[in-house]
Amino acid sequence: MSFEISIGPQHPIHVEPLMLRLSVEGELIVDVDVDVSYIHRGIEKALEARPYIQGLYLVERICGICNAAHSLCYCLNVEQLLGKEAPPRAKYLRIVVEELSRIHSHLLWLGHYFHTLGFETLFMYFWRDRERIMDMLELITGNRVTTSYNTIGGVRRDLTPEAEQRLRRTLDYIEERMRYYEKVIDSEPTILARTQGVGILKPSDAVRLGVVGPHLRASGVKHDVRLDDPYSGHDEIPFNVITWDTCDCYARVKVRIREVYESVNMIRYALDHMPSGDYRLKIPPFFKAPPGESLSRVEAPRGELVHYSISDGGDRPYRYKVRTPTLANLLSVVEMLRSRDGYEVYIADVPAILGGIDPCICCSARVMVTDEARRRRTIMTLEDVIKISRERGAKRR
Amino acid sequence: MIEKILAAIFFPGAVFLLAASLFYEWVDRKLYARFQNRVGPHLAGPFGLLQPVADLIKLLSKEDIVPMAADRLLFTLTPILAPALILLACMFLPIAGPSGIISFKGDLIAVIALLSIYTIMIYLAGEGSSNRFASIGAVRAALQLIGYEIPLTLSLLSAAIAAGSLSIGGIVEAQAERGIWLIAGPQIIGFAIFVITSQAEMERIPFDIPEAEQEIVAGWEVEYGGRRLALFRLSKDLELILLSGLGAAIFLGGPIGPVIPGLEPVLYTIYFILKSLVVLAIFTLVRALFARLRIDQMVSFSWKYLMSLAVILVILTEVIV
Amino acid sequence: MRVPGRLVAEALRSLFKRRATILYPYRELEKIHLPEGFRGRIEFDRAKCIGCQLCFRVCPAKAIEMIEDEKGKRPIFYIYRCIYCAQCAEVCPTKAISMSKTFENIALRKEDLVVR
Repeated sequence: MSFEISIGPQHPIHVEPLMLRLSVEGELIVDVDVDVSYIHRGIEKALEARPYIQGLYLVERICGICNAAHSLCYCLNVEQLLGKEAPPRAKYLRIVVEELSRIHSHLLWLGHYFHTLGFETLFMYFWRDRERIMDMLELITGNRVTTSYNTIGGVRRDLTPEAEQRLRRTLDYIEERMRYYEKVIDSEPTILARTQGVGILKPSDAVRLGVVGPHLRASGVKHDVRLDDPYSGHDEIPFNVITWDTCDCYARVKVRIREVYESVNMIRYALDHMPSGDYRLKIPPFFKAPPGESLSRVEAPRGELVHYSISDGGDRPYRYKVRTPTLANLLSVVEMLRSRDGYEVYIADVPAILGGIDPCICCSARVMVTDEARRRRTIMTLEDVIKISRERGAKRR
Repeated sequence: MIEKILAAIFFPGAVFLLAASLFYEWVDRKLYARFQNRVGPHLAGPFGLLQPVADLIKLLSKEDIVPMAADRLLFTLTPILAPALILLACMFLPIAGPSGIISFKGDLIAVIALLSIYTIMIYLAGEGSSNRFASIGAVRAALQLIGYEIPLTLSLLSAAIAAGSLSIGGIVEAQAERGIWLIAGPQIIGFAIFVITSQAEMERIPFDIPEAEQEIVAGWEVEYGGRRLALFRLSKDLELILLSGLGAAIFLGGPIGPVIPGLEPVLYTIYFILKSLVVLAIFTLVRALFARLRIDQMVSFSWKYLMSLAVILVILTEVIV
Repeated sequence: MRVPGRLVAEALRSLFKRRATILYPYRELEKIHLPEGFRGRIEFDRAKCIGCQLCFRVCPAKAIEMIEDEKGKRPIFYIYRCIYCAQCAEVCPTKAISMSKTFENIALRKEDLVVR
């Protein structure tokens, strides 16, 4: 006999509204249905209605945690439209802030992940150490979370020597702490019991489902936008792409821990080889972009982030499209949550598996129509929405 | 007779136990917070000592809601019976003397039985609230009982065999006569099993599976709120006293220690509280060190390791005695 | 190597460590260290303003309104709408707008959150 329980739209493990309908038999899960459409915010549409410089701050608010990646992606996109490129020093500073926010995002994820496994103490420790990184972000950019650091044509402020000194000390501290935590995680039987062999996603499935980011690398596929398409001087900075081939939740933990080391080394390298010169181009606040389209990709902490824009020659985008990493990763949750022959998923594994993709729902919602009277839900495409609005508009006239 | 009734109501009976249980909750929370480099409760009263009281009062003053689908009888009875059961079991604790307010031959068995009935109460509370999360939590609680009950009983029984008595008072006196605590010797294994299984009995990490917040919200207690939840929380606090006191009595010599004549009840109480706080600190430390296990892992862990260890311990104790 | 409870040393050590948090809203306010360049509440130097309206046009949150007074057009800043991006401070040609370190921008009356 199967029995339906719903995880969400409000549930202690995710702050954001996501609905998972689970069909369970006892503790085993037999079927899953994911619904992300609880928090549609209309940001893409709003971007069409404001000048490029204002859009920059709206884009940052797509996702609070990966705001540096979003604003970087937006800036790259607009710079591409304008046919300009940020100066070398700006590129390195962008890397510093990008990697810092990657460390902060990964620490946040690690803490939250152990919280979902019931390991409150590690959660507190990770978040305590993350606070050091937040202080550094505040020191460099002026704010803890919403950095507002990147701007079209460079970055908004320079790195002072004192800030650099403090940053280096913090990096040493973080690296030492992470080595200790890695040792703890590797030797703690309760953590290993909850993560090893849980939520297996084979490399072939991962590629088929279009999984991105650390989640994909934890399935043993070497894919990283920073390596494949160096967008901000990443070709000058040496780094390793971390992969892990156990394809389970343990691999996801390991990949993210190792990526913190890589990020620390990248920031150190960037600080050591920081080019001198300007940190931003002189671009007036209001400008018209030449007609055309542009696509930019950034490796956000959660995976590959894609921004696409069309310009019709005006001072604001004609169309702006954002593909966030979580949207790409969500499909794989369904795959991982279904019990199959020889692969059992328990209710207790749901938070572990869902948490494993580092879900950020607020950036993923798409339009869905719920017909309450007929109890039917349909997902609409862009064409449908345009068609409906034209029909309704015609009627009103 | 009057003296006995007064003892049951005031000291070391209900009033003392309720006040102490809130204090134990404070110790548990404060220590847990300190292990995690946090402050813990610090606003109500000095060092936040009154925080559990404040929480209790807050819950008592909240709106009382009974879901339409819930079984009204169970939904009302279980929150009352749960703390009553634990309070009754606490009466067996040797607080102000070598034996509790109630004591008879074989009262150790009675305490173990009460603990099991408490878990059944939790099962009924979960099933009676007609919620899917609560049902899953209730079933998990019952399943978990199968896992930890026998090792818990065996660890206490091996101590009873070593002391040659099945009553808590008898075990305490046997330790006093020998002048050595039971924990010194093979019973240290029993103590370890006791600590681990107590975590399961109290539904704390790594065995807080029936109420796993991150998986099934709050499990069996998800529908309870207001004063009903307050009573359940009270029974959990009383459980802290019961299990840490039981550990102190059986393995750490109970309230016995050097005494000044004439001051025995006071000193006994102090010794008892100090020793049970040590046990409580161990409980809290265990809570801070692990991740939550899955229910199947928990049951197989108890049967594979705890059970075999407990059986070996009983045989070992039998051979030595 | 599997060692259950490896965190025990760290947990016991933190018993004697100073806590990582501060008792923020009521006590220990002096322990909050904000770096130079922190983006807090807007401060506006009315004397320096030339009324160019750049801040008004650039504000992504529409937190700035232009009013007419005896010196011409002057901005008003509604802090309750501000997103603290500091873009207005950046574009201001006379540096009349700056960001202070005040981060607790809560008030019971709306008028307290208006900078003129």
